[in-house]
Amino acid sequence: MTTATLPLRKPATAAWLAVLPIWHLVVALAAAATGVILLPRLSEGLLLVPVVGLLAVAGLSAAAVPYIRRRNHRGRVLSLAVNYLGFLACAVGLLHLMGAFTGIDDLARRFGRGLPFLLLAFLGYLVQAYADHFEYYPKRQRRVQEAGKGIILVGLALFFVAIVNWPGLPALALKLLQPAHLALLALAVLFAAMFWGMWRQPTAEAMHVNNARAETLSGLLFLSPNFLGFLLFFAGPLLLSLYTSFTNWDAFGTRDWVGLDNYARLLNLTVARLSSPTQLAAEVIDVKVYDELARFTLFGRSYVVGAEDKLFWISLRNTVVFCLIAVPLSVIPALFLSNILNSRLPGMKFFRAVYFIPSVAAVVGVSLIWQWMYNSAVGWINYGITVGINLLNGAFGLDIADPKIRWLSSADTALLAVAVMVAWQTMGFNTVLFLAGLQNIPTVLYEAATVDGADAAGRFRHITLPLLAPTTVFVVTTTLIQAFQVFEPIFIMTNPPGGPNNATLSMVLYLYQNGFQRFRQGYASAIAWVLFLAIFVVTLIQFRRQRGGVAYEA
Amino acid sequence: MTHTTEMVRQPVHRSHPLRKAIAYTAAYTALLLFGFVVIFPFLVMVFTSLKEPADTFSYPPRLLPREAVTVEVPGFDKPLPLYTVEVDGVQRQMALAVTTVRVGVFAPPDNLAATVTVPLDEVTPTRGADGQAMAVVDGQPQPLFDVSVNGGTVPMVRLSQTALGRFVDPENPQVTALANVRLSPPVTRITWHPENYRQVLELNGMGRALINTTLVTLMVVIGQLTTSVLGGYAFARLRFPGRDTLFLLYLGTIMIPFVVLIMPLYQLMVLIGWTDRLASLIIPWVFTAYGTFLMRQFFLTIPREIEEAALIDGSSRLQILTRIFIPAATPALATLATFTFLYAWNSFFWPLVIINTGNTDNHVLTLALNVLRGRAADSPNLVLAGAAISVLPPMVLFVLAQRFFIESATSSAVKG
Repeated sequence: MTTATLPLRKPATAAWLAVLPIWHLVVALAAAATGVILLPRLSEGLLLVPVVGLLAVAGLSAAAVPYIRRRNHRGRVLSLAVNYLGFLACAVGLLHLMGAFTGIDDLARRFGRGLPFLLLAFLGYLVQAYADHFEYYPKRQRRVQEAGKGIILVGLALFFVAIVNWPGLPALALKLLQPAHLALLALAVLFAAMFWGMWRQPTAEAMHVNNARAETLSGLLFLSPNFLGFLLFFAGPLLLSLYTSFTNWDAFGTRDWVGLDNYARLLNLTVARLSSPTQLAAEVIDVKVYDELARFTLFGRSYVVGAEDKLFWISLRNTVVFCLIAVPLSVIPALFLSNILNSRLPGMKFFRAVYFIPSVAAVVGVSLIWQWMYNSAVGWINYGITVGINLLNGAFGLDIADPKIRWLSSADTALLAVAVMVAWQTMGFNTVLFLAGLQNIPTVLYEAATVDGADAAGRFRHITLPLLAPTTVFVVTTTLIQAFQVFEPIFIMTNPPGGPNNATLSMVLYLYQNGFQRFRQGYASAIAWVLFLAIFVVTLIQFRRQRGGVAYEA
Repeated sequence: MTHTTEMVRQPVHRSHPLRKAIAYTAAYTALLLFGFVVIFPFLVMVFTSLKEPADTFSYPPRLLPREAVTVEVPGFDKPLPLYTVEVDGVQRQMALAVTTVRVGVFAPPDNLAATVTVPLDEVTPTRGADGQAMAVVDGQPQPLFDVSVNGGTVPMVRLSQTALGRFVDPENPQVTALANVRLSPPVTRITWHPENYRQVLELNGMGRALINTTLVTLMVVIGQLTTSVLGGYAFARLRFPGRDTLFLLYLGTIMIPFVVLIMPLYQLMVLIGWTDRLASLIIPWVFTAYGTFLMRQFFLTIPREIEEAALIDGSSRLQILTRIFIPAATPALATLATFTFLYAWNSFFWPLVIINTGNTDNHVLTLALNVLRGRAADSPNLVLAGAAISVLPPMVLFVLAQRFFIESATSSAVKG
């Protein structure tokens, strides 16, 4: 504080320090005025975020003024923040107005022409990497490296020539000359200039920068692209989703606060006693509100369960059944295979790679393959069953009829068919995870157990399983979380999606139907949060189990 | 060390050579069996995508694409399909000239067992159509027909009639034979139809979708690597107030499922005007907590001393990042790149929500496949060619950069 009044030796710095407070006063006033003008229109659309942002910037900018005058470093931080955000807002806004983001569609039209040149550049990269083979011939190494670099540069240059819309450039320049665009450009330049004026070393020194303060600023600056994007596309939407789940948002303008109505409707169940197991449900429950979901008999008495949203409960049941089939079917073979792969016999790396292949393939593509294999008339799976039955009949003189299962179009088998496919696809990934876990178990333990006379089964039971427990918990929970969100294979393989007769309607599919086919986005958001809560519980269990620790300390 | 353990292990382990051989055989059998289960669907995809449409529906299903062989036979305008026909107890390859020839089974009334099969238009009623001669068989009057047998004409009664195919010897068209077409296996040869791919790429919009997917994936990977490197460096190496709280917040959001975000993100895109635009497939996916986390964990392992030395030499933070941290982090970058690549290339739910079904110009591969499966439902060869176009590029990349794929899988499990 005492150094604040030291005279400034450099006139440029003095000028910047004189200009910056005025600039921030102007920014504060302008931002506040714009914010206040927009304030009455808060109810339309999502203006809340920009208005709050403007008012916050106004506040920060105003707060910066006294600090800068006192040459307190906090003023520099505030000033840099305001100018940085101002620059970003203007630059992104300008890009948006100039159609830079929607122009990606246009770029895609010409991108194909550039692809061969991009491949050429990649080839150059390979040449450059190949130079390492000549590390004992420095001259040749350098020559190959330079050749590679040249190919990369030529490839990239040709690529840019091919993808830039040259005839469109004049129109783009003219577009920039529109007053609103020019104003934004000028503002962006001003913000950038002010940022630089505060950032430059002499000003920084006049504002009493030190290493820790410089590091803080660098840290914030480095993190900012990531953090701003995270706020805009993750944290913001997350809060919006929570808000939406309390409204009757329909994507066409209706957006009334309905409190917990969505959740209540979703979870509303009723149970009523029936006088006989075959009594009509309409006689005991209010069928205007409830649909009959299930009936059961307990201690000789019959009950009927009614649900306000029957489909939700069906989707919940389907999802749980799906998980109960798919998760063990994926995890148990993975555990088995990883133990074989861990034996370090020759060829294990090859098998590990083979098992991993399905997990790199698109679910949509894989679903189409399996859909064809499940074909009831000419599919491979039914053919395999036919061959197997014929073999059995022939060998044992049996007379088993060929079932000719209609895998995907029968309500009894559709969910099973999808689950088998999902298990098939995730098995290899889980095998690799298990293998990594197994390789962390010290071999000394096995050797000691062998010395003590333990056989293979004993070693598996008493060493492998307990020491692999953390991996197992991780594998089971991640597979479970994934299976809980099953959507794509069901959407592709069943017709109509979720059919036949809602036998494969999963929670995420139900969410999709509500949100994007019936446009009940508020209701769909409530489903999303119920789903999230379920997943959260699974994750918590995982964390708790992990903290419980390993049974044996290596 | 290994020496001593071997010495200890030998007497205890009782590893009989035979037992060992059985164990090895069992292990490899299990591995091969599962390997077959894993690979077989992809073989079905590739081979079916090279078939002609009719071949896809053949039963029993066969893996290799096969096609009926046709031959040019003198005296016929069109090439004729070749069949394996049994003639007088001998298997011969003959061309099918006429698909349905109405034939009758005839026999002399006094010897019903001596049947001959003759086309109906080669017999004439005995003594003319008006006063056809009759014979009594089993107490029933039956009309008699003149059937030529071995050069002579024999009056016979008709026992039954059916339809057969007329086959000709391709070398010697005078030699013909009648046989049941359905019971004669057609002669096939393996033929490949790579033009299925061209058809799918050109006619069904998969070409455009392939380019769009490449562009989207490339931009997402580059963008995400950039923001993750910057953010990871800040979290790993730069001290600023609130850093650790912020990092915990990032960590907490990794497990939040995408479905919670899909609705508000859609609303946000509507607001910005990016629905139906490729930008909506790129920009929101450039900022991820997971990538930042991964890069931070890697940067933490780089010794601080190198950085401090560079700082004293007057390097800026950006220079340190580009000259020291990024080159050292190549494996981590490759791991993150493969992870992101797979995610961007294979994603379906978000494009389905945000890109209009009618706007085929902006379709990515998964969406184009979804359209193709509806449009070409009756030609599995085309559908599976489309599937192959979307499935094979990641596989090729996997073969080239296997290590990073496996690492990206295990890196998620290391910290749990």
